[in-house]
Amino acid sequence: MSVCRPARCLFAKTSAAALPKPSSQCRAFTTTPSRPARRRPHYPSVKAADMAYLKEQAATKYPDYAPADEALLSQKYTPSQLAAIQAAEATIDPRDLTLQGKKRNDPWKLPYEDDLSHVDGVIDHAEKLHGPPGRSKRASAREASEAEREAALALIVNEQLAKMYPDGFPANPTPEEEYRKEEAIHTAIQQAYLDPRTSFWSDDAAAWNSLADPRHSAIMQELPRIDSKVVQATATFEGQEVVDERQQRLLHQLGWPQDTNLRQRGFLHKAIVQHFVSNYTRLGKIASFYVLTIAGNQNGLLGVGEGKAVDSEEAMAASISNAYKNMKPIPRYENRTIFGDIEKKLGAVRVQLQARPPGFGVRTNHLIFEIARLAGIKDLAARVPRSRNKMNVVKATWEALTAQKLPEDIARARGKKLVDVRKVYYGGSIG
Amino acid sequence: MSLVNLAAVCSHLQNASKARLGLTSIPVSKLHVALMLGLQKQGFISSVTLGGPAPPKPVLLQKPPKYRGTPEEREAKNLAEQLREARKLERRQKKGYLLNARQLEKVAWGRAPEWSYKEIVPANPGQRRLWVGLKYWKNEPVLNKMNLVSKPTRRIWVNSDDLAKITRGRESAFVKGLTRTGECMFVTTDKGIMEARECVERKLGGMVLCRVI
Repeated sequence: MSVCRPARCLFAKTSAAALPKPSSQCRAFTTTPSRPARRRPHYPSVKAADMAYLKEQAATKYPDYAPADEALLSQKYTPSQLAAIQAAEATIDPRDLTLQGKKRNDPWKLPYEDDLSHVDGVIDHAEKLHGPPGRSKRASAREASEAEREAALALIVNEQLAKMYPDGFPANPTPEEEYRKEEAIHTAIQQAYLDPRTSFWSDDAAAWNSLADPRHSAIMQELPRIDSKVVQATATFEGQEVVDERQQRLLHQLGWPQDTNLRQRGFLHKAIVQHFVSNYTRLGKIASFYVLTIAGNQNGLLGVGEGKAVDSEEAMAASISNAYKNMKPIPRYENRTIFGDIEKKLGAVRVQLQARPPGFGVRTNHLIFEIARLAGIKDLAARVPRSRNKMNVVKATWEALTAQKLPEDIARARGKKLVDVRKVYYGGSIG
Repeated sequence: MSLVNLAAVCSHLQNASKARLGLTSIPVSKLHVALMLGLQKQGFISSVTLGGPAPPKPVLLQKPPKYRGTPEEREAKNLAEQLREARKLERRQKKGYLLNARQLEKVAWGRAPEWSYKEIVPANPGQRRLWVGLKYWKNEPVLNKMNLVSKPTRRIWVNSDDLAKITRGRESAFVKGLTRTGECMFVTTDKGIMEARECVERKLGGMVLCRVI
């Protein structure tokens, strides 16, 4: 605000003619900005006529059920379900639906609006497998007798043939069609013999039918197919992956299955210290290569391994396998940071690690950053105030992280009761 | 309130824990007794017993007499009464009175016990020691570190606001926050020696004594 403005206001003529109107111009003794002369409402007012029009629109867009509709609905639903549907529809004002309701037109919208009877293999959860009510499936099924087996075979063969010939057998078959028909019958019989319903019988029809449900089978179900060229291309590429002998040996030593895909399970390793060392002997210097590797699954497992060999590749391989073999669990608070501040001294190196709030990030030196990345720690601060020997920094950090004391253990040692209030608030969804 | 002696006690308890001792003794003073009771309340130590130059018999530690009230109250009352009675005994001995065995036991325990102990607190205050039972769990000492915060030459007083910050892990009044897992800090206040978090609860300030991990 200019300095002369209050003065101008003071010395202004006070006659009514000079003042155009008692507008906001004159309120100059304050620093608050003046309001426009007429206040407008934030929302345009709705006229009564428009409201009536809206109601009409709503009624035409979402009409009440006609008697014919109700008759149709009553065929599909029980009276109580129908009452529930009507009660639900009565609670929603059609005017609100027209004003606030929005039809999705984004690319991620569901392919159906309200048809929940159809189960989509990709989008929906798999249907829960319920046995027949009352007795358990195993209890109700027993081995079939000769007659029951015959009956079941006939039924299943017919089922299979009905699938292959939905319109029935052709009336005047050509020899080729005749041959195909015989083949089909033969296949159907073979399949019927494999069906568990031929071997087992249950008086409960639902239990007997559930035997044929492929979800009861011990054989792994086929997943829904995705007909994408990109997916197929990557699949063939992965299929042709070269078998790594070293990795196989490592998996064998770890006692993990040979087909474990370490990459897919989030395991990573990184050589973070590597240099030449030489052994001074009577015969001269023997140079060898030293590698220090860290390995982790980015989810609370971390190992540090050293390798030394004349050949750099050998040293690398040895350090990697040692790192995987040395993997230890690292306790993490809320799967993101450490439990309180830790300090660890190793040689001349002192490492101070500090827990930080969510979203802080890993603000540490590059070695500790890599360690935190492979261990899956997301929020961390660290200081290495004294010596910064790389090998010892890595080892000290690893030892500090693995040797953390958990609050539960401390409470147990002190004979205290510890209650995690995070499990009480927020519905226990944290941690 | 000698912080010099308290510093010695802190170091001694640390050393005793490192040496995996089960029982150790410290000089008796009101400050030490109150602090040890605070440590016991926080679960750092298992027992606090007034005794002589020789350690009290283990039976005393295993089976303390039954008193009513909370364990802390019981322990505080017990010790206070022991001290009072010991002083009374001292006075009586100076005057030339002789006490029988039952009276001696009463002096030792503040009341006539159902069973008798031979252990009694020495009449000479210089010979009295406070016997502290140390705790270990999973082959690790429960009390790992115990350091003075206030120093004999530089005492630090904090109010409850400072303590609230400190217990939340922030630095205040030149005292670093309690950021380590299970870290405790003891403060001497008008209402006695208590843990920093309890001070915050009761809105009390005072002189910071030591931090314990």
